[in-house]
Amino acid sequence: MSPSNIPPLTYKVVAECSVTKARAGLMSLRHSDVNTPVFMPVGTQGTMKGLLPDQLIELNCQILLGNTYHLGLRPGIETLRKAGGLHKFMGWPRAILTDSGGFQMVSLLQLAEIDEKGVNFRSPFDNSECMLTPEHSIQIQNAIGADIMMQLDDVVKTTTTGPRVEEAMERTIRWVDRCIKAHDRDDDQSLFPIVQGGLDIPLRHRCVSALMERQVRGFAVGGLSGGESKHDFWRMVHVCTDRLPRDKPRYLMGVGFAADLVVCVALGIDMFDCVFPTRTARFGCALVDSGQLNLKQQKYKNDMEVIDKDCDCSTCKRYSRSYLHHIATNECVSSSLLSIHNVAYQLRLMRTMQEAIQRDEFPQFVKDFMARHFQTEPIPEWIREALAAVKIELPKDDATDATKEAKKRTTTS
Amino acid sequence: MKFLVENINKNSGRLGLLDLKAAGGGIQLKTPLLMQTTKGGSIPYLSADLFENYVQNKNGQEPVPVLLQLTLSTMQQMAESLALWPASLSHYLGFPGQGNVLLLRDPCESTPSGGNDRDVAPIFTRQGKESLTPERYMEIIASFKPDIYQGLCDADTNLESSKKRVQKSVDRTERFMDYIYEQHGKLQSTSSSLLAPIVGGYNIFARTQSIKHARQQPEGKYSGYILEGFHNNGLSATALDGSQLLPIVEHCVKQLEENKIKMMPGAYSPLIILELIHIGVDVFDTSYAYCAAVNFKALVFNYDEKSIEPRPTPFLDITDEAIKEEFVPLLDNCKCLTCQKHTRAYVHHLYKTNELLGPILLMIHNLHHFMGFFETIRSSIAQDKLPKLIDLVCKQNGDSKVDYSIEKNVKVISKAVVGKGFETTTES
Repeated sequence: MSPSNIPPLTYKVVAECSVTKARAGLMSLRHSDVNTPVFMPVGTQGTMKGLLPDQLIELNCQILLGNTYHLGLRPGIETLRKAGGLHKFMGWPRAILTDSGGFQMVSLLQLAEIDEKGVNFRSPFDNSECMLTPEHSIQIQNAIGADIMMQLDDVVKTTTTGPRVEEAMERTIRWVDRCIKAHDRDDDQSLFPIVQGGLDIPLRHRCVSALMERQVRGFAVGGLSGGESKHDFWRMVHVCTDRLPRDKPRYLMGVGFAADLVVCVALGIDMFDCVFPTRTARFGCALVDSGQLNLKQQKYKNDMEVIDKDCDCSTCKRYSRSYLHHIATNECVSSSLLSIHNVAYQLRLMRTMQEAIQRDEFPQFVKDFMARHFQTEPIPEWIREALAAVKIELPKDDATDATKEAKKRTTTS
Repeated sequence: MKFLVENINKNSGRLGLLDLKAAGGGIQLKTPLLMQTTKGGSIPYLSADLFENYVQNKNGQEPVPVLLQLTLSTMQQMAESLALWPASLSHYLGFPGQGNVLLLRDPCESTPSGGNDRDVAPIFTRQGKESLTPERYMEIIASFKPDIYQGLCDADTNLESSKKRVQKSVDRTERFMDYIYEQHGKLQSTSSSLLAPIVGGYNIFARTQSIKHARQQPEGKYSGYILEGFHNNGLSATALDGSQLLPIVEHCVKQLEENKIKMMPGAYSPLIILELIHIGVDVFDTSYAYCAAVNFKALVFNYDEKSIEPRPTPFLDITDEAIKEEFVPLLDNCKCLTCQKHTRAYVHHLYKTNELLGPILLMIHNLHHFMGFFETIRSSIAQDKLPKLIDLVCKQNGDSKVDYSIEKNVKVISKAVVGKGFETTTES
């Protein structure tokens, strides 16, 4: 047992941007310190696909995300308990965050039904009926032993409207109390509630206020990044961070595209996760500031440059685009090589933002980044609006002809 | 390339030193040598960085250099790019400074039979069958610039091959090689060394004819031999019968120039490898370790002469439900990264969830174990104790011969049993 007089999570704001809502912080957890803003790579089933824990440490990754739904199925909580928790089971000495399993239920399983008791679903393996309750989710997460765990929330499609959204928000608040009550290891693990409320600003406000009355060490913003328009997306983040307390970390679930990360850091988010960098790696894509290179394309066949000459990852030290072109999606090792690069890219982007905030040069960083990221296409309107809301005015595009305007409106994901 | 036989022991076979002029200096490799088999130029599942940092043997601080076994059947699509590549072939693959040998066939997978038309050699690639003419082959060699390459041959024979097929393989190989020997000297701006192919299945006369053709060449035409045509690669090599294989190999070795290096690619079992070394074969590869890993078998056979405890099976079956909660290393006292940092239970979980890290961890362990095996072999020969090692590997301290053949693990393909919803817990 860890010394119980030290809380399992302490968070300190190290620097704040004098223009935007961005802040750099230090979050101390039982298994490691985490510098924020932070991107958490996703290790769904107790492994970051294709990477050794030692390789993640070399990349200076401080925290990983695990999925409760998958881990509850395999290896199951009995095995996890016997192993002494997920850290020991997978050989990862640093911090872990687990989700509640609710999102997977609804996104992976078509037959999930939610009532006051919990989430009803049919097992994908034998079609038997199962029920995930707030208590059960916490029981599994206690066995996993992650440094940070999530409440079970009532997830509705982001595009849902009407009374169901309010019901889900109210139920999420009722469920957080059941989660808090069921939580057995508050000395070691910190439970985050999740702000719900769809795309409805008053609902989001009510949810934040209600959750702030609970004794918690950080907050998650949920129910976004599920197909809603980007105009709604950034506004919901904005209204939540406006009301959430300054002295606690804020986690925006499921967001990980580079431009979204930069915008949401400006809006005051501290933690992110997304499967995108590793998933796109498996399809042969490498992340760079200007977007991503699809290395399978013929133009890379004889390109003897590295992916990014300014990247210091082990892939960029050794391999040309040409070689990666030939093995991408053909040899298994290409998944590992591109995942290393893509995770390195995400982590470096976050570190660069931390440093820019600490030097109070974050607004300039944002402008430079957007110029690099949108070299061939115009900066989407929603990004201009979101950044304007935190007092960053991006320079106007040179060409604002009609086709470009039209393109902006359709750029929503 | 230079090869020096350093030491021949009556009972144990020979030790040698292979001197390679790899780009950026030379490397020296000790024989009996274990080449690292590759797919598409990478060690299967392992990045070059991972291999060099966590698997490659370190002799004190200095890493022991590696000879990469490259195969045209997994790399031929790179020929155009390699013609434009300004540095060494190993460098292109992320292994600057390591040596390489370019072979035709991937020893890890079974090679289909057929496609042997009069003037072309088939290679079976991801894109399908490609027919290589000797002319095209030499163009590819000029683009790849390997440190060592094999002569073009027809090695499509095994124990079951008809006399006619065996004779054809010898005749066609001669025709290919007449051209290759002629062109080899004309290769510009490369210092690639050539291995003469010896084929002829299990037929003494055919083998003798193949050897004669190689030995007729003027001194210095080639630098060593590659003995093929005993199996069709993949798992078939793991189950070869020594009583059939060894006499024919011995027959060949006796007729070949003694001071030249002899290579036999393929997933030969540890026991067969020892017996081949005993006869005088110098170079092998890691395809056996690969074949075990992809079939979810961890190599645990014993080669420590101090051991006394019997080990009836050379493998730990990772698919076995019984190890689900065994929180111990794959192999006791193993110093590999997998055994130092992970457990049987975890690797079993990775198998069940079909995660990429499973074969990665198994490759790390199996390569480490196999590389340790070769170190033991070399020190055993130095002390003239190879027969003792053969006995240990053969019986594993038990009474009968241990079975080293690897069968396709069908569980890996049809995973019927996975989880059944969440476990219900009894603990409070």
